[in-house]
Amino acid sequence: MATDLARTQRQNGFWREMLNGWMSILTEPNLDAFRAQKTRADPLKTVLGVGLLGLVLGLWALAIKPAALVTGMGTEAALVELMRMIFFAETDFFILSLLIFFIARGFGGIGSFSQQSYLLSLVIVPLGMIITAFLFVGEKLGLTLTAVLDPLSPVGVVGVVVILLALYGFLLLLFALQAAHEMKSSAVFYTLGAPFLAWGIFRVASMFIVGEENVITTQWFFIAEQWTKGTAQELLMGHLWLVAFSVSIAIVLGVTIGVFITWPARKPKLSHLSILIPLVLFLLLWAASSGLLGEGMADQIMSTAKDWSRSLKRIDNLYFGPLLEIVAAIIAKPAAVGMIIAVFIVILYALFLAGEVASDLTLYIAGIILTIPSVALFGAMIKPLGIGPFNAAFALILYAQLPILRNTYTGIKAVMPEIIEAGRGMGMTEGQLLLKVKLPMAVPVIMTGVRVSIVMLIGIASIAAYIGNDTLGRYIFEGIYRAQEKRYYAGAILVAILALAVDYFLGWLQDRLTPEGLKGRREAA
Amino acid sequence: MIKFENVTKIYPGMSSPAVDNLSFTVPTGEICTIVGPSGCGKTTAMKLVNRLIDATDGAIHVLDERDEMSNVLEMDPIQLRRSIGYIIQQIGLFPHRTILENIGTVPQLLDWDEARIRHRAEELVTMMNMPVDFLERYPHELSGGQRQRIGVARGMATDPPVMLMDEPFGAIDPINRNILQNEFLRLQQEIKKTILFVTHDIDEAIKMGDKICILNVGGLLEQYDSPANILAYPANEFVEDFVGADRALKRLNLVRVEEVMNSRPPLLQATQDVKQAVGFMTEKKIRFAYVVDAAQTLKGYVRVKDLKGKTGWVEEYLEPAATSIQLTTNLKDALSEMLVVDYANVCVVDGQNRVRGLIDTKMIHESVIESNAVAEGEEV
Ligand SMILES: Nc1ncnc2c1ncn2[C@@H]1O[C@H](COP(=O)(O)OP(=O)(O)OP(=O)(O)O)[C@@H](O)[C@H]1O
Ligand SMILES: [Mg+2]
Repeated sequence: MATDLARTQRQNGFWREMLNGWMSILTEPNLDAFRAQKTRADPLKTVLGVGLLGLVLGLWALAIKPAALVTGMGTEAALVELMRMIFFAETDFFILSLLIFFIARGFGGIGSFSQQSYLLSLVIVPLGMIITAFLFVGEKLGLTLTAVLDPLSPVGVVGVVVILLALYGFLLLLFALQAAHEMKSSAVFYTLGAPFLAWGIFRVASMFIVGEENVITTQWFFIAEQWTKGTAQELLMGHLWLVAFSVSIAIVLGVTIGVFITWPARKPKLSHLSILIPLVLFLLLWAASSGLLGEGMADQIMSTAKDWSRSLKRIDNLYFGPLLEIVAAIIAKPAAVGMIIAVFIVILYALFLAGEVASDLTLYIAGIILTIPSVALFGAMIKPLGIGPFNAAFALILYAQLPILRNTYTGIKAVMPEIIEAGRGMGMTEGQLLLKVKLPMAVPVIMTGVRVSIVMLIGIASIAAYIGNDTLGRYIFEGIYRAQEKRYYAGAILVAILALAVDYFLGWLQDRLTPEGLKGRREAA
Repeated sequence: MIKFENVTKIYPGMSSPAVDNLSFTVPTGEICTIVGPSGCGKTTAMKLVNRLIDATDGAIHVLDERDEMSNVLEMDPIQLRRSIGYIIQQIGLFPHRTILENIGTVPQLLDWDEARIRHRAEELVTMMNMPVDFLERYPHELSGGQRQRIGVARGMATDPPVMLMDEPFGAIDPINRNILQNEFLRLQQEIKKTILFVTHDIDEAIKMGDKICILNVGGLLEQYDSPANILAYPANEFVEDFVGADRALKRLNLVRVEEVMNSRPPLLQATQDVKQAVGFMTEKKIRFAYVVDAAQTLKGYVRVKDLKGKTGWVEEYLEPAATSIQLTTNLKDALSEMLVVDYANVCVVDGQNRVRGLIDTKMIHESVIESNAVAEGEEV
């Protein structure tokens, strides 16, 4: 083997050999190419390769110095400059390689330092030279940071190429490390990621210490300022309560409908007449408060409703305030409340009778509701419900329906027929079958639907700020109107963080609610 | 007692019945197996009893808690189902409930208190040869065979006098099925339930049934009789085909070893003198003999050629016996055991491994000839 290697080296010559190494890596970017190169590891090749990169970097540095400076510099000074760059390239490379080496060892790597350095140099040297060449071209065309960020400008394309090359290099470095140390790929990723992460944390921390002004720090200071003023909490609570209130109602409604559309159609029975009581009550409420039963009565109801609403609004509490506000807004509109609940009673009864027959239609309609743009739905509801929490809650409840009722439906339908038959055959009533067997078994699926709706509603609730709700969306709209970048970023960031946090919490809750026996089954499957 | 009287079931929209004018009676404390080709209406017939399906015509009576025969169609279906044990082919354990909760399903519906449910569940798992700590497990933590046992236990939770079992050992491999069948038969000796047992396997039907009900496609009753009679006198060509050409062999299933064995076998005592033993064996004209101790426990066997010209005690020349057969084993299993170990005769022992008799292939053969003769003679 060794003699073999020596012979090829003699035949091909040292530089040829090095060039072949680079070419094989660049043309065959895979693990095996690196593994093959591992046997040719040679500290001399590493040092010379990195030195070459340093030379190229040095030349580039000289080339971009203002012309006056270069011409003013003697050949001697230029040579010193080049030597300096080569020296820095060598030290930087080996310090970095040493750092990675120790981290890799920590993750259980088994390769030697010289092998690892050689494989890393195989990536860094050729790609570094190519990137430098591109930067040189870019510089000649007037490369600046803003230009790089704009992929449409001609320099931007160069920038994009450079960024892509860098990403490609990162990928190759992963291969190189894995070949050098034969580690699990996740460990390789952490090995390379750890220094980057550390660098990122260090970088962000230093931004704050120095007080540098950029996207991150401005955002942070703006949110912190809003927090101390108390507005951020208020909007956050408003946002949360709007979602929580709507979702609670949506869950009851959605699960009920979802259950209804799983059973066979029923015939109306005399005992069903009992639903007439609430139905008539709510119709009366609607009729009386909209003046159909005399203006006097309407006035009386309206003024009572306003009184209640006002006294509720007077309770000022950071945590429950927004909830009371929603309730107050709903109480203030007895006609709408009566009408909406009456309509829902009729719909629910119709679905109760129709059962499975209506399942397709119901799911279809719930799907259509979801496609209505939220701004349009909010707008359409302004006339009957006004602006504010009532309107928002109504729309949010409608939006939440599809995921919840569809998942309830599929969750129940997915319960194996033999399990239902066993329950029925042992003498469970249909109600017991639903509560003790079907629903518990459907819980994981229903909870997934609830999770999806809640996260979705957190997003839509931001738009509800458009019709005057105190949600985090207010930052977004204010930011747009006042053209204040930091404001709408703050809104977006807070909404995103809220959604992630709530989703995480719901994941935990879902795990808690899933019956023990079903969890293991999922693992076993 | 379960009594079918001209029961017909026609599914809505079907032109031909799934169960056609079915009449038979399952006596109290007996197992009746319903057997027939796929789709012949076995499951349908069974579900008519606990009214998962309602009969189109005819009546089914079961013995209710007041020991009176009542028409199931006049009973409340929920009450009826809670009073009848129900075990289905796919087991249908509730995956989200522990074994305890699964077994306790019907007791819970009947509002038993928790301590009583637990007590009963412990009793049942023990009866099913499983440790009590299984009660805390979930169905997915059990093997297929264990799940099937729990399914049976769940059906027996409230000790119902009548049980319906739809291929209760269907979802399991033959070896474990055999074990479960034997366990269940042993259990039935004690609990004496009235059982309707659906199977598509004629061997299982013969083995498990006190009575067999053979159905044909369309739910037609072809023959209802005891296994022995069905094997000896198939009512028609369909039954004859269905029970198979090896029905003479199948009859071996119905005879137990204790009925044909030699119950006074020539045995040697372990502490006997070798000379005396050789004399005994020469006298009996046997080349080897089984050896027992004072308590009649099987110790092994000795061969004449090993003992000739030797001195000492018999136990010094013992060879271990490769197998022995239980009293209640049927002839078919006994024969297969003997073929496996290649012994001409084998010891029959009781539960304490005490030798109760000896059986050889000749005895089995004679038993077959005898029952054939009886069958032929009576048929003519
Ligand atoms: N719900 C139903 N509606 C209409 N026809 C049915 C229904 N259930 C069963 N059948 C029909 O009735 C006949 C008897 O069915 P059943 O399930 O009782 O058969 P089986 O003897 O138990 O068969 P297997 O051994 O395959 O379980 C079959 O032809 C079947 O197609
Ligand atoms: Mg069946």
